[in-house]
Amino acid sequence: MKDTADQEVIDIGDLDVEAFNEFAAEQGWSDGMPLYVPTEAKVAAFVERVRGDNRPFPPVPPRQVVPTLQSLAANAVMAGCKPEYFPAVTAALRGVLDPAYNLHGTLATTHSCAPMVMVSGPARHELGINCGSNCFGQGWRANATIGRALGLMLLNIAGAKPGEMDRSTQGNPAKFTFCFGENEEENPWTPYHVQRGFAAGDSVVTVMSGEGPHNLNDHGSTSGIGLLTTFAGGMATPGANTIYGKGPMFVIIGPEHAATLKRDGFTIESIRQELFARSRVHASRISAENQETYISTGHKPDGDWFAIARSPEDIHITVAGGPGKHSAFIPSFGGTTVACVRIAP
Amino acid sequence: MRIVNPTFGLAAAAGETVTLKPVNWKTDAIALFSNSKPNARELLDGIRAKLGAFRPVDNIDFVAKNSASQGAPKELIEKVAANYRGALLAIAD
Repeated sequence: MKDTADQEVIDIGDLDVEAFNEFAAEQGWSDGMPLYVPTEAKVAAFVERVRGDNRPFPPVPPRQVVPTLQSLAANAVMAGCKPEYFPAVTAALRGVLDPAYNLHGTLATTHSCAPMVMVSGPARHELGINCGSNCFGQGWRANATIGRALGLMLLNIAGAKPGEMDRSTQGNPAKFTFCFGENEEENPWTPYHVQRGFAAGDSVVTVMSGEGPHNLNDHGSTSGIGLLTTFAGGMATPGANTIYGKGPMFVIIGPEHAATLKRDGFTIESIRQELFARSRVHASRISAENQETYISTGHKPDGDWFAIARSPEDIHITVAGGPGKHSAFIPSFGGTTVACVRIAP
Repeated sequence: MRIVNPTFGLAAAAGETVTLKPVNWKTDAIALFSNSKPNARELLDGIRAKLGAFRPVDNIDFVAKNSASQGAPKELIEKVAANYRGALLAIAD
């Protein structure tokens, strides 16, 4: 890894794309997949897209260097972004730099967390971000490269090199990329960014240091309360950090499940209340040693039940995905927050 | 070919340099600082037992962060600096 004494612009001689990729891998710049070449001209085209947002970036932990727009753009170029994606990428970076996000902790931990990036508002369609079928999966350049660009920034700017500063025991495929859009069109309630106080016409990036999505499969329940029984059961897991980390989590409801819940009169607030009350883990599912640790660090049970959240407000809810009877639970690292940043116009 | 260095960053302002004072490990007050993971306490228990074998005074205290996943608050670090001559940090997982 190069240090801060390096030049911002490097002459690498006459390399073709394959040779550049070998060079980049040797430098430790790669996530393992092929990279685009961050030429000065490509980088300049990206930087031009964020001229309306000239707020300086703070030092990026753990490496504690202040990036330039050029060095950030170099990562977005390498990830395969289009220039117009760059404001969403820088918004995501600003989100993970929220002190409450705890970037140092989330990058250095042995936990598998990765930065979840959710896009709301008009930018979803302007940038071609998939909000529907397979929204967490492959096939969409914007989803794939916006999340990847943030990951490369955390590697190259923050210094989260796997096995060195990034100490994750097993890692997580979401560390390659984890970006999706809200399905606002099939959300029968309020879009997430509006829940957080933004205008419906704002484009907003939301970030949380989370695990990959845990599927909540329910083809059988035909009632809202039936679906929430399944959701709560799937969330009540003794193996997630939230059992003792007590941080935020997302429940991303599929549109068909959302329609059933809405039909039965559930609101986002009542879903939160119901899930908070029922997604608890019985003491019989937690080892004696862990119970002792949890209790000694202030995570006391309510009777025989351990809560997975501090309050209903820790359970963040929105709608994404396409047809089908699936939803998703995304537990967080624990000691983190859900940060929202408006994409600069 | 000229490319932009994706690792480039400007060094943040350097922190204050402090002068370390010598510690008398036989008598000075010592903090055993845990990162709040269960195995850190195991390590520190062992160190306390070893230190107790040759120290004539019992002025070793355990200190822990509020959360295993978050950094120690500044106030806690200042409290340790004010009350102890030496601190041993366990970062076990």
